[in-house]
Amino acid sequence: MYRYDQIDKDILADRSAEFRGQVARRLAGELSEDQFKPLRLRNGLYLQLHAYMLRVAIPYGSLNPTQLRKLAWIGRTYDKGYGHFTTRTNLQFHWIKLADAPEILDALASVDMHAIQTSGNCIRNVTADPYAGATAEEIDDPRVWAEAIRQWSTIHPEFNWLPRKFKIAVSAAAKDRTAAKTHDIGLNLKRARDGVLGFEVMVGGGLGRLPHIAPTVRPFLPAQRLFSYLEAILRVYNRHGRRDNIHKARIKILVAALGAEEFARQVEAEWEKIGTSADLPDTELARIRGAFAPTAFETLPAVSEAFEAAKARSPAFARFARNNLKPHKVAGYAIVEISLKAIGQTPGDATAEQMEVVADLAERFGQDDIRVTHEQNLVLPHVKLDDAPAVWAALAEAGLATANMNLVSDIIACPGLDYCALANARSISVAQNIAAKFADAERAERVGELKIKISGCINACGHHHVGHIGILGVDKKGEEFYQLTLGGSAAEDAGVGQALGPALPYERVAEAVDTLVDVYLRERQGAERFLDTFRRTGVAPFKEAVYADVH
Amino acid sequence: MKALTANRLIDGEVVFWRNGQWVEQFGDAQLFNDDDPAGEAAEAHGKNQPTVVVEPYLIDLTQSQGLWAPVSYRERIRALGPTNLNHGKQADGGAAIEALQHAHGAARSTGRVDLIKRK
Repeated sequence: MYRYDQIDKDILADRSAEFRGQVARRLAGELSEDQFKPLRLRNGLYLQLHAYMLRVAIPYGSLNPTQLRKLAWIGRTYDKGYGHFTTRTNLQFHWIKLADAPEILDALASVDMHAIQTSGNCIRNVTADPYAGATAEEIDDPRVWAEAIRQWSTIHPEFNWLPRKFKIAVSAAAKDRTAAKTHDIGLNLKRARDGVLGFEVMVGGGLGRLPHIAPTVRPFLPAQRLFSYLEAILRVYNRHGRRDNIHKARIKILVAALGAEEFARQVEAEWEKIGTSADLPDTELARIRGAFAPTAFETLPAVSEAFEAAKARSPAFARFARNNLKPHKVAGYAIVEISLKAIGQTPGDATAEQMEVVADLAERFGQDDIRVTHEQNLVLPHVKLDDAPAVWAALAEAGLATANMNLVSDIIACPGLDYCALANARSISVAQNIAAKFADAERAERVGELKIKISGCINACGHHHVGHIGILGVDKKGEEFYQLTLGGSAAEDAGVGQALGPALPYERVAEAVDTLVDVYLRERQGAERFLDTFRRTGVAPFKEAVYADVH
Repeated sequence: MKALTANRLIDGEVVFWRNGQWVEQFGDAQLFNDDDPAGEAAEAHGKNQPTVVVEPYLIDLTQSQGLWAPVSYRERIRALGPTNLNHGKQADGGAAIEALQHAHGAARSTGRVDLIKRK
């Protein structure tokens, strides 16, 4: 894991002291709310429905146990004992007091964490494959590049006041676990035939009011030229991105307006001018890469007797192993996914106690490594198969062993109208109602992979456009209604979902999802996923079933 | 009928106007007739307290179980707390809270548009 150096620590100390002064001036009346708001937002502090919300950056979703314990401590001390993991792999505290915020930033800085650039029109937290360093599928460790991007983009003077917020993802394998094509820039690590490392560069993806899947603007960029190319993209965006209309200010609008080809041409022209001076020196890259050197793995047999015996003994553990354990690159190890989607719970929420349990497990069994996924779950990337039964038992005791990864109850949901000042409708309770319909684990497994994503407003923090089933809360004549879309995907086969039909009232949403699943089970052929069946049949049979009793 | 609400600056707590003071429970809020200029006067007074509250505004009310409740669902959530956990004011219970929990009406405040700018 990357460790902050003295420069990083000094920056955080300065920034924290600066914010402490700004808060004091606001409370004393020396700063108006209009003057103060951009300053607090630059430090991740929003004013929401019930309190302030602090959004803490978790760079590329990577945490060590000390950091997770500190988040737990903050949750217990300054919040109501909870934290909420987000689709940007950040963590939000929803019950923060303004007067406490400087103390919290100091606490975060003590473990090399902060809330800088978790809001504002700047480069936000980078998403990376949560299986980094653990999956045999990866071309290169994406954390190396994500960390380099973090350092490059943090308080970057040229790119701190962009037309609008800017999000970058680094995917490291053919299987995309980062939603790269929905980012402003999606970088997909690749190797050329001659072995040279590089990236496919996709630009102009984004969700929100106008969803776009990012087109590829350069099929192969040599990795050592990454930063000059990023600079060229950001420069073209900074120059031509619209600042007159907040709804048309994202780079996706610029790319769509120019066309991917013309946008790429302008980037290439800018890149030519920049030359190699903006690229990362090899020595610096080597320094960063050193921080992610593979940890020492033991030589173990591919088959663990303890693991096999536990599966035979416990159907519950066998179910957990089937759904939550993923293949590791080293024999005798597994990647363990921890669901934050227990039936009836708030998607992405973890209590302080649960965070501490995960921190303990990472320390005892997981090489001090914890990841956050954009699907609002956690990962222990390096667990010995021999230890998996013990990890499962401890997770089960903490209410963290729900065996539903990628299943129908593994739902992304934004905080919605329960917390968010922007929301039109609730998301969390819709997710809870749907999950309750599929509480029967056997049935959920029979349904198989099904990604439901729920947003409480058109800003699409819950990624509804790219859900296999997407659900968008709207305010219709003063009541909570929900528009359903089908057939979206955030993965390598990314696509925007198609509207099912007229919006449904709150009470009918879970039932409609149940109906959609029944149609899928009736129509599916062979091993088709819900998404495959939908893409084959189109919307008609689904629409007919959901609206049958309306006609 | 209307009430005046805001978030308290120092902690973000949802507060309501009552005779020159800010109180935490909607049940304690001062109510204004729709045509009573005292409502707008209170709002103006609140806007002159920038070190006490952030962005005070009047909300519309409707009757519920013989008591008053905000028309807007958003305002009822502000007055009660989130619906997923009893972490808000609903934990205190009582008739006023129950009236809020059983009220029906609009999802969002009247007149609060362009919410993307409100963070």
